[in-house]
Amino acid sequence: MNPVPTAENPFAGDNSGIQKRETAARWALRVGSYIVVIITLAIMLHIFIKGAPVTFQSKWPFVNTQFLTELPSQLHVIEDKQGNHYETGVNGADAIKKQLGDNFRSEKTIAYSGGGILGPIVGTALLVIVSVGVALFLGVACAIYLSEYAKHGKFLEMVRLAILNLAGVPSVVFGLFGLGAFVLTAPVFVDVPADRSVFAIPLGFTTLSFEGWDTCVLSGGFTLAFVILPVIITASEQCLQAVPQGFRETSMALGATRWQTIRYSVLPFATPGILTSSILGIARAAGETAPIMFTAALAFKDKLPWQKDLPPLPADASIFAHWEQSVSRFLGIFTESVQALPYHIYTLAAKIPQNEYSERAQYGSVFVFLVLVASLAASSVLLRKRLRAKYRW
Amino acid sequence: MSADSTAKTTPPPVVQVRDMDFCYGTSPALFDINLKVKYHRVTALIGPSGCGKSTLLRCINRMNDRVPSARVTKGEVLVKGKNIHDADVDLTQLRKQVGMVFQKSNPFPKSIYENVAYGLRIHGEKNKSVLDEAVERSLRQSALWDELKDRLNANALALSGGQQQRLCIARAIATLPDVLLMDEPCSALDPISTLKIEELMHQLAQEYTIVIVTHNMQQAVRVSDYTAFLHLGKLVEFAPTEELFTNPREKLTESYLRGTFS
Repeated sequence: MNPVPTAENPFAGDNSGIQKRETAARWALRVGSYIVVIITLAIMLHIFIKGAPVTFQSKWPFVNTQFLTELPSQLHVIEDKQGNHYETGVNGADAIKKQLGDNFRSEKTIAYSGGGILGPIVGTALLVIVSVGVALFLGVACAIYLSEYAKHGKFLEMVRLAILNLAGVPSVVFGLFGLGAFVLTAPVFVDVPADRSVFAIPLGFTTLSFEGWDTCVLSGGFTLAFVILPVIITASEQCLQAVPQGFRETSMALGATRWQTIRYSVLPFATPGILTSSILGIARAAGETAPIMFTAALAFKDKLPWQKDLPPLPADASIFAHWEQSVSRFLGIFTESVQALPYHIYTLAAKIPQNEYSERAQYGSVFVFLVLVASLAASSVLLRKRLRAKYRW
Repeated sequence: MSADSTAKTTPPPVVQVRDMDFCYGTSPALFDINLKVKYHRVTALIGPSGCGKSTLLRCINRMNDRVPSARVTKGEVLVKGKNIHDADVDLTQLRKQVGMVFQKSNPFPKSIYENVAYGLRIHGEKNKSVLDEAVERSLRQSALWDELKDRLNANALALSGGQQQRLCIARAIATLPDVLLMDEPCSALDPISTLKIEELMHQLAQEYTIVIVTHNMQQAVRVSDYTAFLHLGKLVEFAPTEELFTNPREKLTESYLRGTFS
């Protein structure tokens, strides 16, 4: 039977309000999305407009090298009688005052706002290296065990729940945990245990004393590692699960042991994802403030971690002749406390009097920090793209 | 290969399943299976979906060990006369000698050469010339050598579906197994690729003992010498293929073959 064409519209709506609700829902969702985009753009633009001029300059080399290569210092602002302001560091202040002579009216100093932010950049880099190293080792080991070895059951569920909970722990709690565990009680080898040692195990040639690592890169890095551990475990596990089961079955059917299977036909194909997620972990670790407040970071330090008042190595021989000392000096970098970008920003924003002269360092630091994090995220995306193309299935 | 002349005159069963019961946890999957797989013959396992043919196949190289709680509850499985559940059986050696090809062709995203050499490499073979030789022999036996000899370093995923499956066969026979288990190897392939694999199986049967699971009865007729019909976890009938298809002894077999299955 052919339907007979009629003059009236056979598909007319019934005006029951379904269409109106559809439109309303679509607009509500659209507006929500726009608000997110607008707020993100507003933050980024604001920081870019205020921060970019600090970091870049119109003259060659276009980057403000002073801001990126100097340690933070006091900013001196000198006003002359005409109301002109001169911003300068500690050393420049006297010269300008002398030059102004009688024209000098007043001088203000603003803490931490002069110089550059090399100290915090170096500190953050060191913290990130330690934390990602520790977190990748522990996290990937844990993920492999959970996804490839552990039997399904109550215990596995409990471990998963624990990891989820770890992700929900406030970062300041991690900071206090790090203070208690790494700063005050972690084990070290010493000849004579300190008084604060929790307990000491004599080993004959030396003593294993639980007296803590003190406030240093190592303590902060380990604490940060535990902050990003849940992220890395969860992401690594997902990456391992994404490798087709068929690869494992085939490998086992060819007589491979479980470890051979993991080593040769699971891990190579999960690595791109694991690396991607760990780079995002870096961004997270770089940005955390609370965990390093008690464990690694100082508000101000006028030396880089490797600038110590140590006698120079004898100049007569190559560094290989004194490799023991060279190694211990290199490791010494990690037992120094440092400045770190997020804590530096916190100090600049909350610990010093605010005025128009403190803005430069504030926005500059935030801008540099954002650029670092954004470039990490971008490299993670690029890395994933390249490795995905290599290992697709 | 253990192909000596005495074995050829009186071929002993390479795989023997005796009174085997098999369970997944508390739910039984196979009951009282008895099966003798003859040397250098193709044995087909047929039956409706869920009858346990894949499970039975996976009992032969203990791939079911991967499923927690799955176990043989009664009886035994002998391969080359040895009970494979004995404590002194090394799983890696068992699986080296009982190869397996899966339903879904799943070459590793590596080069063709590395795919075929994988089995030998994990068993510790490092000698380049031994590997080269094994790769060439395996690819020749799986009728891929002429097509692929010039691009052994190409990614295996660039091959067509049929080629991929034949590569999986090459990978499985590179370790010179005695038995080759095939779990519906053609179910994802087009008719021409299927035909090629079936031809291949005839040639492979001269050097390997093959057990194939198939849901395609015509395929069983075309490739196999013996056929076992399974239904609801029981082995209903096991006979030479021609006999089973032309003159089945069991009512159940007959109705399944005729397609009047209730």
